[in-house]
Amino acid sequence: MLSKEEVLKIARLARLELSDEEISFFQNRLTRVLDYMTELKGIDAAVGSSVRHVPVDCEEFRKDEVVTFPDREALLKNAPSLEEGGFLLPAIMETE
Amino acid sequence: MSALNELDIQSLLSGYEQKQFSVQEVAESCLKAISEKNPKLNALLEVSPEKVMARARELDGASQDLSRLKLFGVPVAIKDNFLVKGWQCTAGSKILEGYRSPYTATSVKRLEDAGALIIGKANCDEFAMGSSNETSAYGPCRNPWDLERVPGGSSGGSAAAVAASMCPASLGTDTGGSIRQPASLCGLVGIKPSYGRVSRYGIVSYASSLDQVGPFSQTVWDSARLLEVMSGFDPLDATTSKAAVPNYTQSLVESGLSQVTLGIAPKWLEGLDSDVKKAFDNSVAALKKAGATIIEVDLPRTKYSLSVYYLIAPSEASSNLARYDGVHYGLRAKDFKDSETLYNRSRGQGFGKEVKLRIMLGTYALSAGYYDAFYLKATQVRKLIQEDFESAFKKCDAVLVPTSPSTAFKLGEKSDDPLKMYLSDIFTLPVNLAGLPGISVPCGLDQKGLPIGLQMIGRPFEETKLLQIAKAHEQIHGVMKRP
Repeated sequence: MLSKEEVLKIARLARLELSDEEISFFQNRLTRVLDYMTELKGIDAAVGSSVRHVPVDCEEFRKDEVVTFPDREALLKNAPSLEEGGFLLPAIMETE
Repeated sequence: MSALNELDIQSLLSGYEQKQFSVQEVAESCLKAISEKNPKLNALLEVSPEKVMARARELDGASQDLSRLKLFGVPVAIKDNFLVKGWQCTAGSKILEGYRSPYTATSVKRLEDAGALIIGKANCDEFAMGSSNETSAYGPCRNPWDLERVPGGSSGGSAAAVAASMCPASLGTDTGGSIRQPASLCGLVGIKPSYGRVSRYGIVSYASSLDQVGPFSQTVWDSARLLEVMSGFDPLDATTSKAAVPNYTQSLVESGLSQVTLGIAPKWLEGLDSDVKKAFDNSVAALKKAGATIIEVDLPRTKYSLSVYYLIAPSEASSNLARYDGVHYGLRAKDFKDSETLYNRSRGQGFGKEVKLRIMLGTYALSAGYYDAFYLKATQVRKLIQEDFESAFKKCDAVLVPTSPSTAFKLGEKSDDPLKMYLSDIFTLPVNLAGLPGISVPCGLDQKGLPIGLQMIGRPFEETKLLQIAKAHEQIHGVMKRP
């Protein structure tokens, strides 16, 4: 069983604020799912470092070209808080 | 003649060609069906009669002859995790409530360029994470065959809208079965194309190495038509293939089975619902009678698909969903003193439980100390699953399996245990892990009168062959009746 502290650590890494009820809910659910996944432990599956994820050739790189999105206004319209055409955030450095 | 909203794409196109009706008449008929049925089904989250009728008038009044376009005047519902300029895109989540798409997904753009008419945005599980449409923040969608039951998920609204004749076709996304399983539960044709066949640009990312866009329709021909319009290289999605796009509808003319070998994996069929097993056996027998060769294949490592999928998909999701931070778009929490509280609180309030569970699973699987045992291991076993299919396809052209181990279940029936819910995708997950094309076609009804689906899995980029087999099956079985 994952401990409450482990759940809180994962939540902190994932940037999720959880209620007390949610902490015990996820404690149970995460444990249930992760226990099931221990079936993978015994499988001899080492295939070296080359793990191919998808069956598509993506070896060709496109040119790194800047394309300006034509409708800046439409993008900004979805922002919860704007100031002078920029996204507004709380201060990240202490002011004197 | 059927009501206009009940016509399939092929009938619509021929009706337009013979000037039997206008696009406006078809659009009105679909909007009427939506206003009658949607309050009960909750299949569509946004419908805009103004936008729909404006587009219908535009198509009817076009100066040049557009009626030869491949999807002229065809109403299509789009899952609410696609961006369609001017329409909402919530991905079924509260965190994206009110979001207006600033541009259109490539797949949808291609449908519109071919003359299609967007009829509405379809309900879905939150961020496409679910198998029943019950994780949607906007309420569950219901199955038109039985309102007490789920339509499947995550593209439940897309399936329900077509099954209820609100429109002849819709688009969904399929990361682990999210098109094929609802197609099966609602009695429709649904395709998950090969990874790289259709552009993912403009869909809300869930698990980027697994997500694919695909169609729902009543008939095989209709899905073939949607697929041939959408497929092909897109400079905006580096994982799309440059392989030429075949004329899928043209290829359906040759749908003989005499040269076709179909593989059955006996181990997959253990413990199935008995009605599902019976319908599956009947379909296999009918395909054999029509000339196909049936052989047994072994896919021993696919039994690990659930574990592999629920490590890889959540890992990718934990990274993809990092963008919902309460800054650029979407929900922003009210009280915060610093940036970290802003992020944590906005995400805590905006995401539902299943989404949080998967983000945390992925974060755990990628975190220091667990990466090798979980994420890396899963990617290695994924490779073994791909190899299982490669060896099977040396002996057969397609593998057959029921799409879902059971028919539509009741709302709430599987909500208590995540594994019970996850297991309803057990036959569809391996197909995404291996990047293969899969199609679900209706193959009968159970004793409760609920539809059963047959899944055909093919080699990468051999959609043509799959569609031909599906067409041959449809010729034997007939097109599924309406609920």
